[in-house]
Amino acid sequence: MIGKIKKVAIANRGEVAVRIIRACEELGLETVLLHSEVDVQSRAYRMADKKICIGPAATNESYLNIQANINGALAGGADALHPGFGFLSENADFAQACKEAGIIFIGPEPETIRRLGDKVKFKELAQKAGLPLVPGYQGSDQSVAVLISECEKIGFPVIVKAAAGGGGRGMKLITSKVEAKDQIESAQREALSAFGSAQVFIEKYLDRAKHIEFQIFGDSSGQVVHLFDRECSVQRRHQKIIEEALSPSLTDDLRRQMGQVAVTIAELGRYKGAGTVEFLLQDNEFYLLEVNTRLQVEHPVTELVMGVDLVKAQILTAAGEYVFDSHKIRAPRGHSIECRLYAENPYLGGMPSTGVLGSVIWPDGPGRRFEYGFEENDEITSYYDPMIAKVITWDENRPRCIQKMIRVLHDSVIFGVRTNIPYLIQILSHPEFIKGTMTTRFIEKYFSQALKEEKITDFEKQIVDQVLPIAKSKNLLVGTSGVITPSPWSHFVAAPKGDK
Amino acid sequence: MEVWLQVAGQQVKVNAQWLQQQLWVHFNGKTFVVESNSGKKNSSGRGTVASSDTVKAPMPGKITKIFVKAGDAAIKGDALIVMEAMKMEYTLKAEINGLIQKIEIQVGDQVPLGKTLIKIDPGT
Repeated sequence: MIGKIKKVAIANRGEVAVRIIRACEELGLETVLLHSEVDVQSRAYRMADKKICIGPAATNESYLNIQANINGALAGGADALHPGFGFLSENADFAQACKEAGIIFIGPEPETIRRLGDKVKFKELAQKAGLPLVPGYQGSDQSVAVLISECEKIGFPVIVKAAAGGGGRGMKLITSKVEAKDQIESAQREALSAFGSAQVFIEKYLDRAKHIEFQIFGDSSGQVVHLFDRECSVQRRHQKIIEEALSPSLTDDLRRQMGQVAVTIAELGRYKGAGTVEFLLQDNEFYLLEVNTRLQVEHPVTELVMGVDLVKAQILTAAGEYVFDSHKIRAPRGHSIECRLYAENPYLGGMPSTGVLGSVIWPDGPGRRFEYGFEENDEITSYYDPMIAKVITWDENRPRCIQKMIRVLHDSVIFGVRTNIPYLIQILSHPEFIKGTMTTRFIEKYFSQALKEEKITDFEKQIVDQVLPIAKSKNLLVGTSGVITPSPWSHFVAAPKGDK
Repeated sequence: MEVWLQVAGQQVKVNAQWLQQQLWVHFNGKTFVVESNSGKKNSSGRGTVASSDTVKAPMPGKITKIFVKAGDAAIKGDALIVMEAMKMEYTLKAEINGLIQKIEIQVGDQVPLGKTLIKIDPGT
């Protein structure tokens, strides 16, 4: 029992549900997992003390259903609820509903989420406070005609984003008037399906910007600090793939200025708990992008360089028992990188590769952290995000950290589904990534095509030829001759991506 | 299973596992999939063969938009269908010129991998 919290409901799935369960276990708190019908075959399900099914696989009937989550949390006897990230984590109505049901929402107050998390209101607030914003349109008139004319006013290229969104969903780049209608409608559809609201806003597209964000944290006493920055410039279709702390691009002066803006924003929203202030940085000018009023997927890199446990800090803050000793707020140490492992085929331009996982082997060691929600025999389904796991490394400096990450990916074994590991290794080895000068267009510039299928070498063929008979002797049910294909889908044509 | 092999004078650690008639093999940072029967790739049925006059679902997912109707002319590269899977949208395009012969799905349908969605008549 910490403060008034004895049992925590987890309104999420995958690796973040595992992360939260572990934090609760360490704090001696009980856990209730609120899960969909298909997620009974997952690591979080096996770990939670209690599990309550809140609905079918489709997210709008389970993970996005406020009442189903509240009912589940109450039925499970939870006194607090952690929303994780994605799903309802930034939904003020959900935070409000928890409060009204007498459940402590582990996150900021509903009013804070409304002020800062609503991307439209946030822009108005920042504008009033004189903080630097990306030029754009966030009006309430959402007719396609008006949106198109606003795009023209801002000047192409522009980017359309879901007002209620995050994580790159419902986000489209528009480079000319010709494609504006299709892209706006597509963004609205994705927004409605992923976030329950079709509202979008438009921003000028900065074509050589870096994505930099600051971790903010408000403790139980109301004190707000920042825990330095992360860089997430390596994005594909506006979805982050590789993140690191600290950013290799900030001068001390920029870091200080941006950190100050981040704290100012957090104070304006009377921030409590963990949050992230996102910026774009181009030609040494920075622009506020948005505030994510929740834990971030890439929170581990901050944890490793700052020596904090953000999830435990969130829970303790919600319980009213977390106060920073302001004299002791730490300095960052070393460097940390996170890679998101997706179930997809890099040789087919990132086509999702669903299926049941076979063996999974994570090469453990110092400065290596593996966050995963699925194990052998668990299925990666098409209902949810294709992320299988996150791999995080820490080392004394950035070059060593990159080196370590490449080795770790090299030694990670995942059978049953194709993964983006070959793609990640190529990105990490790219001269521009190594220099740290990559922008958000890095992937588009160098990795927009599917990876080229490599020819199997004689050496590799010899190995496979030796393994096959050994494997066959252990399984007599399979055929006799072996045909080697580096990809089982090599003659299956990749569908062009919608936003290209 | 994990085996150590002696290949060309080198010691190599290899992980391997049978999954649905396919042998998955990992060594030196690479993963290979070995089909158990020659001449029968895709034996697991998890891949689809894309023949150009038939547009098949490249993954399980939901049909969110159909841009054409039967009888329409399609030019190679034309967007035909938008599918949503894993929260991302994918646009399926025509791979050949021709007339749309048949549309076998409706907006909102949840389709399995490999389902035929549209047939295109290339004419002569």
